[in-house]
Amino acid sequence: MIRNFFGWLTQPMGRIAVLIAALSLFSLAAFGIYYTQQPPEQPIQFTHKLHVGLGVQCLYCHPGALRGPSPGLPTLTKCWGCHQQIAKTNTSPKLAVLKDYVLNNKPIAWVPVAQVPDFVHFIHRPHIAAGLNCETCHGDMSQVEIAKNPQVMNMGWCLNCHRARTANDPEKRVKLTDCGTCHY
Amino acid sequence: MSEKISRRDFLKLASVGAATTAVLTGCGPASRYVKREPYSKMPEYTYNGLSTYYATTCRECAAGCGIIVRTMQGRALKVEGNPSHPVNLGKTCARGQTTLQGLYNPHRVMGPIKHTRGEALYNADFENNPANMSWDDASQVVADALKDSAGIAFLLGTTSDHLFDLVSDLATAIGAPAPIRFGVGNMFEARATLSKAAEDLFGQAALPFFDIGNSDLVISFGANFLETWLSPVAYNRAYAQMRRGNPKRRGYFIQFESRMSSTAAKADQWIPVRPGTEGLVALAIGRLVAEAKGGAVPPVFASVDLKSIVKAADVSLKMLENVAQHIAESTNPIAIPGGSALGLSNGLQTAKAILNFNALVDNFGKPGGVMLSPLSPNEDAYHRSASVQEMADFVEKLKSGGIKTLFVHGVNPVFELPKSLGFSEALGKVGTIISFSTFPDETAVASDYIFPDRHGLESWGYQRVATGAQQSVLSGLQPVVSGVYEKDSANLFYNPRATTDVLIAATKLAGDQFAQVLPFADEVEYIQSKLTSLVGQADGSFVAPEINTFSAYFQQHGGWWRNATEVAAPAASGVLSQALEVGPAEFAGEGEFFFKPYISPTLAEAGANIPWLQELADPTTTVMWNTWVEINPKTAEELGIEDDDVVRIVSEAGTVEASVYKYPAIRPDTIAMPFGQGHTAYGSYAQGRGVNPADILGANFNEAGDLAFMGMKVKVEKTGKKRELSRMEGKLGVYGFTQEK
Repeated sequence: MIRNFFGWLTQPMGRIAVLIAALSLFSLAAFGIYYTQQPPEQPIQFTHKLHVGLGVQCLYCHPGALRGPSPGLPTLTKCWGCHQQIAKTNTSPKLAVLKDYVLNNKPIAWVPVAQVPDFVHFIHRPHIAAGLNCETCHGDMSQVEIAKNPQVMNMGWCLNCHRARTANDPEKRVKLTDCGTCHY
Repeated sequence: MSEKISRRDFLKLASVGAATTAVLTGCGPASRYVKREPYSKMPEYTYNGLSTYYATTCRECAAGCGIIVRTMQGRALKVEGNPSHPVNLGKTCARGQTTLQGLYNPHRVMGPIKHTRGEALYNADFENNPANMSWDDASQVVADALKDSAGIAFLLGTTSDHLFDLVSDLATAIGAPAPIRFGVGNMFEARATLSKAAEDLFGQAALPFFDIGNSDLVISFGANFLETWLSPVAYNRAYAQMRRGNPKRRGYFIQFESRMSSTAAKADQWIPVRPGTEGLVALAIGRLVAEAKGGAVPPVFASVDLKSIVKAADVSLKMLENVAQHIAESTNPIAIPGGSALGLSNGLQTAKAILNFNALVDNFGKPGGVMLSPLSPNEDAYHRSASVQEMADFVEKLKSGGIKTLFVHGVNPVFELPKSLGFSEALGKVGTIISFSTFPDETAVASDYIFPDRHGLESWGYQRVATGAQQSVLSGLQPVVSGVYEKDSANLFYNPRATTDVLIAATKLAGDQFAQVLPFADEVEYIQSKLTSLVGQADGSFVAPEINTFSAYFQQHGGWWRNATEVAAPAASGVLSQALEVGPAEFAGEGEFFFKPYISPTLAEAGANIPWLQELADPTTTVMWNTWVEINPKTAEELGIEDDDVVRIVSEAGTVEASVYKYPAIRPDTIAMPFGQGHTAYGSYAQGRGVNPADILGANFNEAGDLAFMGMKVKVEKTGKKRELSRMEGKLGVYGFTQEK
């Protein structure tokens, strides 16, 4: 039966069917790729552009990057520390969402966009200690409204940088390209 | 269909399918997006993205192991042993690991509840009853009860020593009877018998410590020290040291027990003696060893008749001579008396025979020998928990109607005590029953009020280490989480309150004469008052100049312990010189089988509401989620019973029905059954699973007042029903294909 089917595919109708099938598969795949690259819905339409533009340092809200594996997400108290002193907090409809979270003491369920899979142990601290700036990996957040990830964070991307920065130091290169450095 | 898909076509189609699936679903970052909820108000001592670790004490049993709990964003995630704690040195047992499922158990008591006795604390869908009173009202209820101080009684469990101290102080101050402590674990260890034997022989009531770690030959008489006995993690650790700690020799281990427990399964020799003859066997071995040594045989072994013992115990003389040979070749032999040898009418003599054997091999106070456990740092004398005989006396007191209000905390007597004692019926004579149970257990169901205490991982406190370490140890508890919260909310889901706090608040409400009874603001202040005597002491794990610093270190280290070894050598004067008669054990009932109830190594007395423990296969039978009865395959064949057949076990005290597990490692004249299941309440994981062997135990006691739980003879009746046990091993059974289904 399957040979009859392949025979039918060489007929004109069959070719048209193949074309339609290929096109629909292609467009579905294209949509799938497009869709999965979209930044996720966030509980608050937080604009990095505005906050960075006002001169808030990255490490003010994400201090963990300096000291530990995870930069952390700011707590409500941190948001409110500034916002309770800003008149706009009481008037802006966008900020009403924040006010609701704070006054009801509800945790904000943020969705981090810069993610690596579970089998990668990424630690921020040594990267900051090595003199990297936040924007080296996370892009220029002063131009980003709702958080999104500027690049595909895969192993090749990690290793490119590790190799480039250890070009003159073979010992360090061994350490920084060893599997066990990130996968343990 | 004549044409088949060729291999090549199949591969083509499959690769197209796989590629499509991969492209459409998995490759994008969207597949990895998760929600993260940061603290709304972060405590200042935590750091975003980093775990916070707390040292505390495991409260699953009374051993007092130190644990370190990893928490993240206010949630307890993982329990590990505290490496510097003298009892467990960084190890934990399965129950310690699973204590998290007690904290986050879906069936905890929601808050203070007034309810009708006997009514369930959740509905048919296991939805918890809501709290129906405030904590202020609850304190008032307790306060009103305290006013009639002569008519109250406190029944406490074996954990939460700080609460025991507080209740003792309270009882003394208001003239109420002293609190009674009970735990079924102590019953299965026959702890009262062991300490009575020590008292009779050494003139000192203390819990012996058996230093098996430094021994090279361990002879255990039914001691399940690798399961639940006394301080299981400490003894597991010592066992490993005995086996592998010395590179020059591997310790040897012999177990005398009618059924192969999971401890016996680790032994080099398992010798299934007839139940009740363990003391005789100890005397016989002692006699053989004494003869081999030469010189006069000590009086205690003088009247030993080897022939009759060999016959009574159903062992061969050659076997005993072989054991004596091992003893002669070893340098530090030790014999340990376990609960299944002592929970018999002749249990006290058996304990003495075994301790006398240790005196014969001269190991008192020496490495690898018998010692007396040191008292805890703030302890005046060794207080053992109540024996079942004392509980029976207490039941009589309840029946007499003298108790107006009964407070129950940390123990589930309705489930744990043998039904024949009539505890449940006696509760009918009690005016008001107030349970402080965290969980909706059987005793909480039988109560008028349930004022739930906090779970062990949410609690302040301290626990005295009765045995298990060579140092004097006071183990500390602190909350590792502030509570269990509703989803996406800062409101508590469970609203428990520390019983200590409830009692302190109640004394303040009870009127002027009680105002100064407990002059503390809260539980923490009370605990600090009990620690002040340790402040400034130089020989401990840390030194602190004043109480606040001391408390901080106490929490940080998970307790306070002395650095020096403090185990004392028992006085050897009273041993060996007196003759000892180990009489035949008495067995109640008409049946043909010895009945051996044993405490489940996985569930123990209160683990049945923890699904991880229910799912954990029993170490010897691999059965999960149920109760089984172990019958030797030979006996089963004679009776015409197969695996999974439901049989009725009839004792003089009652009957239970359970599925058969054909177990080749049990004497043909003995059947065994684990204790731990058979709950009629206690949440969806526990309720309605298996049966409780305590239902068929008679109220027979030995001289020390321990229940002769091994002293039952039972009948086995076929029911014609079949109920399959879920078990991890293959259903073909240990005898392979010979078994017909």
